[in-house]
Amino acid sequence: MSAVAPGMIEAKGLVMRYPTGRLALDGATLTVAAGELVVVLGHNGSGKSTMLRCIAGLLRPTAGLVRVAGQELTRLSGRKLAEARMALGMIFQHGHLVRRRSVLANVLCGTLGRHRSVATSLGALPWSEAAFAAQCLDAVGLLRFARQRADTLSGGQAQRVAIARALAQRPHAVLADEPVASLDPEAAEEIMRLLRGLASRDGLPVVCVLHQPELARRYADRILGLRQGRMVFLEDAASITPGQVSALYEGQAA
Amino acid sequence: MNQVDHIALPAEPRVSLRLPAASRALPFLGIFLFLVVLGQAAIVVQARPQDLISGAHGMADILRRSFPPDFSKIGDTFEPALETLDIALFGTTAAVIMALPLAVLAARNTTPARPFYAAARGIIALCRAVPDLVWALLFVTAVGLGPFPGALAVSVHSVGMLGRLFSEVVEDMEMGTVEALTMSGASRLQVFSHAVVPSVLPSLLGIALYRLDENIRSSLVLGFVGAGGLGFQLLTAMNLFQYRTVSLLLLVTFVIVMLAERLSAALRAWIA
Repeated sequence: MSAVAPGMIEAKGLVMRYPTGRLALDGATLTVAAGELVVVLGHNGSGKSTMLRCIAGLLRPTAGLVRVAGQELTRLSGRKLAEARMALGMIFQHGHLVRRRSVLANVLCGTLGRHRSVATSLGALPWSEAAFAAQCLDAVGLLRFARQRADTLSGGQAQRVAIARALAQRPHAVLADEPVASLDPEAAEEIMRLLRGLASRDGLPVVCVLHQPELARRYADRILGLRQGRMVFLEDAASITPGQVSALYEGQAA
Repeated sequence: MNQVDHIALPAEPRVSLRLPAASRALPFLGIFLFLVVLGQAAIVVQARPQDLISGAHGMADILRRSFPPDFSKIGDTFEPALETLDIALFGTTAAVIMALPLAVLAARNTTPARPFYAAARGIIALCRAVPDLVWALLFVTAVGLGPFPGALAVSVHSVGMLGRLFSEVVEDMEMGTVEALTMSGASRLQVFSHAVVPSVLPSLLGIALYRLDENIRSSLVLGFVGAGGLGFQLLTAMNLFQYRTVSLLLLVTFVIVMLAERLSAALRAWIA
């Protein structure tokens, strides 16, 4: 898709200490090249979501810097940060669609950042981008649902619409926070294939937090293992051994 | 003894499975206490069921004098009926406008700071705690007789209920959509109008319609303290012993309340 311009994600020495004193992330460094899919693995509380949220600018790290497509997010705030976020498409665990609006309207919401006007601030959608939004919807294979209300979709379909909405941003990079955690295996494969495609075909850097080591091995270029906020390994997916992965979860049986 | 011995069960536990005697007596104690409290209430309200029987003549007399309703005066009921409806409509709309900002301040997830939260909760509690009839008496004293004090009373009392329910809707809102749109680079206003508003609007409209229906009923009563509408006509007719007019007004009231309830329920079902 010509709409998307690739960039690069750089996170250097990220440290996150919450106001409660808990050290959630202790020096994470990751560079994701254009066209590369990196999966972050770790048990609950290992800091993987914290790391992603720091990269996304949803959390301000205690130390370290984040650069996306050449722009240093950790230095920005307010409107500047909002505008810089347009470069980052983010997928959450749930689709987080506006339930009562149509699927196409939900995708159009992704273009809001480019259309700051009184009308769009009062709830109007930038319908001039409808054709582009339809293309984004087609890219995830759901064009036939364009006019349907978002709350009629299944979990997997809603997640695909969320990806279409992220595409509508014309992102330079894509982040995904446990995007398949609440999906059945088949829908999970579909989402992973789409994310893989965003990297391989569209040349975007993609960072994806997962709970499934098996999916990680099959879809990722590299895997980052986190344990108690520290990086344990960052290697090619092909060279990672099952022992390395299970060491991440050891002593963490819930 | 145990016939299902083809299922291997562990040995019977050696602990007593019966509840202690004190716990078993608890329900009986509860029922006894309730009966004591109820007896006390019967004494305080001076319940005299025999009076209902001896007063039957009087009631039959009133019913006879109320029948048939005086339909020749139906034309005179339109204006007060409209007044009653308008008191409710105006009062509810004004209340919704006041309750919306209050609800944002009184919801934990949207309030800008703790003092605003406490102040908003305080205002909401005050509006609710004082009955609309008392508000009407206050406003009649302040702005004189007529429908306007009625509308003011309806709106101030409604702010309490609407503010509380609206703030609950805002608190229960799914924050995921807000986060998702924030991440897409939308401005704060855009996030508000495209994520917050669509997710709370149906609930807010439903609550407002329900309140309108309630306010039509309460604006009828407010007429009794001089706030205009059907209630005021009802009071006048009663004071003049025009029972056939009273029964006509009650009939009109019944029709209005029924229609309002049906319409409000139908609209709420359509919105949801």
